[in-house]
Amino acid sequence: MMLLQQFDTLIMALIIAFALLLLTALLPWLISAASSRSRAVREELVEVVGCLRCDYESSKKHEKGDYVGKVVGTCPKDGAFLVVKAIYVERRAQGRAGY
Amino acid sequence: MTVGGVKSVAAPIYVVQVVSGSSEIASYLIVLLFLVSLLMNFTDIPQRIQLQRFSSFVRRKLYALEEMEVDARRKSVAYMSSVGIREPSKILEGFIDNFFLIRPVEIEPTDIIRRFKHLIRVRESSVREYVRRVLGGADRSVQYSVETVLEVVSVLRLLNKLVRHYLELGLKYNNWILVMQLAIQMPELVEIARAYANSIDAFTAGIPIGDSAGPLVAKMLVNWRETSREISDGTNLYETEVDGRRIYVIKALGPGSNVGWPGEALEKLVEELGGAVDRIITVDAALKLESEESGEVAYGTGAAIGDIGPEKIAMERVASKYSIPIDAVVVKMSEVEALSPISKKIYEGVVKSYELVKKVIREKVREGGTVVVVGVGNTVGVR
Ligand SMILES: [Zn+2]
Repeated sequence: MMLLQQFDTLIMALIIAFALLLLTALLPWLISAASSRSRAVREELVEVVGCLRCDYESSKKHEKGDYVGKVVGTCPKDGAFLVVKAIYVERRAQGRAGY
Repeated sequence: MTVGGVKSVAAPIYVVQVVSGSSEIASYLIVLLFLVSLLMNFTDIPQRIQLQRFSSFVRRKLYALEEMEVDARRKSVAYMSSVGIREPSKILEGFIDNFFLIRPVEIEPTDIIRRFKHLIRVRESSVREYVRRVLGGADRSVQYSVETVLEVVSVLRLLNKLVRHYLELGLKYNNWILVMQLAIQMPELVEIARAYANSIDAFTAGIPIGDSAGPLVAKMLVNWRETSREISDGTNLYETEVDGRRIYVIKALGPGSNVGWPGEALEKLVEELGGAVDRIITVDAALKLESEESGEVAYGTGAAIGDIGPEKIAMERVASKYSIPIDAVVVKMSEVEALSPISKKIYEGVVKSYELVKKVIREKVREGGTVVVVGVGNTVGVR
């Protein structure tokens, strides 16, 4: 009976050792799987259009071919030139991603 | 004897056999464990195993790099045919692997900058000639953008070749340290390659990138007005006024992808003015440390320009020749951000640095004085 008990502990020790080994091997994967549940982000190109004379400014979606300094019309307030003053990427969180 | 009697006798024997068998297994296992630990501790086997693991990791990342290169090639070919270049893939093949630059001799420092500048100009003009021949009379912005796209693809090609070189070298000589080092650096390299690959979209669509911070500040200072003249090849000069101070602004000619020759332009301008300049302010994007925030603005002394030498030294020389104080205003960002379309955070940094430049002008330059502001960086998407 004593031997039988010894046999059990040995097997148990081996199983525990194996489980720990498996855990160590899978740990990086587990961590990356846990951290990759990030929010989905929508990127949008925004363009700031402003008047050269007054402080009129408005932002709109970027149009292909536009660049900073391009004249895109006239000011609704005083009729001076409207130019693209800035173009940048705006990131908007889009709620939780499905996983 | 009954059948049942046999059973009752046989059962205990069976148990005993199992028990003695298990202790035998256990002792075998212990011996095995001992042997394995001996092998693992006193031989090269673990390193060989690691070599295999790390090399397969590098190979996987290399596939990703190659995919990026193929993608970049496809995009650049599409862009080139969209601007009217015939046989764009032939043009691409003719560019990649050629047009390298051999650095001048450095153990003899006499006139090294002149030699380096000469080599850079010669290379630049041969690239320009190569593109101009196939592009015909297209706009200069298109010409600059085609050049940049070709350069980006050849950077990706070079990166792939280098990674493959070190991997094959490591495997050839069983140099596991080399392969391990390569594997550890791979994520960073992939990130940089991705930045280059993504920059093609910005360059072909003409969207400002993080590195355009300097030109954006320059454009803000002159209230988005047109240039007064081209002072150096592909480099514009603007004139404006801030609270009674005369401001000269230098930036590359846009809106194509172009950095111009800011050092040469500054040198020319200051010489033209006979050194009558009260202050030089350089504005540029700067690489941030990991712990720093993107879009942070910092102020210091010196020429803010990420140049290999000639342009930067031209700025320093002309400033010290006439003892003009030279300031640096930088917008911090990562390498990836510097090459990607400008984000809102960095744009806010650009606005902050514009305000800082104005503050420096107001506080450190007397009324009626003259200031030169140099907006250093790639002017893609900024005219
Ligand atoms: Zn207006």
